[in-house]
Amino acid sequence: MTVVLGQDLTKVYSLNGRQVAALRGVSLTIAAGEYLAITGPSGSGKSTLLQLLGGLDSPTGGRLELMGRRVEGLSDDELTDLRLRQVGFIFQRFHLMSVLTARENVELPLAEAGVGRRERSERAAELLAYVGLADRADHRATQLSGGEMQRVAIARALANRPALILADEPTGELDAATGAQILELFDRLHQDGVTLVVVTHDEHLAARVPRRVHLLDGRIDRDELATAR
Amino acid sequence: MSSFGVVLLLHGLALAASTAQPLPGIAIERRLADRYRLAVGDTVRLTPAADRPAARYLVEAIYQPKADPATALRGEYQIRFHLPELSRLLGAADRVDRIAVLGRPGIPADSTAFRLNQPAFGYRAYPSERIASESSRTFAVVSRFHRAIGVISIVASAVFLLCIMLLKVEERRLDAAVMRMIGISRATVFRAFVLEATLVAAVGSGLGVGLAAVAGALTNWVYRRRFETSLVFSHLSPDIVAFGVGLSLVLGVAVGALAARRLVTARPLALWRRAG
Repeated sequence: MTVVLGQDLTKVYSLNGRQVAALRGVSLTIAAGEYLAITGPSGSGKSTLLQLLGGLDSPTGGRLELMGRRVEGLSDDELTDLRLRQVGFIFQRFHLMSVLTARENVELPLAEAGVGRRERSERAAELLAYVGLADRADHRATQLSGGEMQRVAIARALANRPALILADEPTGELDAATGAQILELFDRLHQDGVTLVVVTHDEHLAARVPRRVHLLDGRIDRDELATAR
Repeated sequence: MSSFGVVLLLHGLALAASTAQPLPGIAIERRLADRYRLAVGDTVRLTPAADRPAARYLVEAIYQPKADPATALRGEYQIRFHLPELSRLLGAADRVDRIAVLGRPGIPADSTAFRLNQPAFGYRAYPSERIASESSRTFAVVSRFHRAIGVISIVASAVFLLCIMLLKVEERRLDAAVMRMIGISRATVFRAFVLEATLVAAVGSGLGVGLAAVAGALTNWVYRRRFETSLVFSHLSPDIVAFGVGLSLVLGVAVGALAARRLVTARPLALWRRAG
């Protein structure tokens, strides 16, 4: 099943009256269960592509489908609902709600999706156990380490069983050992059939991902499958 | 003892030794007794003016007059005389300034005053309610003035709250951006921020009421000691509390809604970039 279908995607920003092309005809197809790394130097269009895939922005040109649904022309409310149910975000700086506990952070998108109290409590407990934080469920975000916060963020991203998980430099704020634990967790997600797209500068991370898309100057420079792990 | 009180300026008040002859009795108010350490049975010399001869009196009673805001701040003391003794002391046997007439139960004050005014030879009778109303008019004006100050203070603090909330919104922009990015709707984000503003306003109102209660108690303590009275100088009535809390909550919610609206009308990416 195809999760993402992007054809000839372009994105042009207006900057101080000047037109700046961030993406210049990117075509990309991501199948369900794929684990993909988007790499490239600063300004190559990685973040813009991630924003389009996540329904945070609309392309200026081309065609983009998420789970068979055209993204262009969707209203803000429709895009919000798409992000809630079909996309999970993992940020570099975790961005948990600091006043909420780990459990409440995971329950947040479930509550928004209308999941009942008992069911979301069970789902949050299940996800926190999955990321190895069952015993930290009632700790506030500020009481957790960086690695633990990122694990909670991963659990939050998985809450509504999205079709696609997007991670933006997920190990960028972590030390090497903690980053490695997160990468192991990503491997496990992949093995469990989660579709995962990671934007990264981290060569170590990119090297262990089965498919690597390298962007350069708003275009796909290389789209390669790893020959061996 | 006459049934009315007289305010007398004291000149040359002094203790004197008891004499063999019976002295006319007087009643003095508690503050005066405390100030000069007088007790029942003491003898005092009183004169209505420094250049007039003094007369001796026996303190027969010490009483606590009803607190009266109109006289509390004047620094005067009350002494009650038998009417003939008062006339003798003042040297005006056929003259009085005020007489209080106590009617029997059921007799209306208006008709009594009307009948007393009919002869109208050198005096004027008023129902006590009218005198009370006229003498308290000043306090009614002061009360309205205080209320106006209170409203201005609350409105001014609401403007301050608006500034704080707007600054807080700037701080919370990243939270709002993240919530919107993970699919939380505008309505939910808006409700969350309005709820937060409501809680801030409610807690602020509670603290304000507590502060007002403490400040009021302190004011009463200081001024009661200063003016030796049981008057209540600061009173935090339930309607004032309800008015203040209600106004604060309404303004707080309105301000929170205004600040939250600024957040939710922006697109998530725009919020994210501004927060970054």
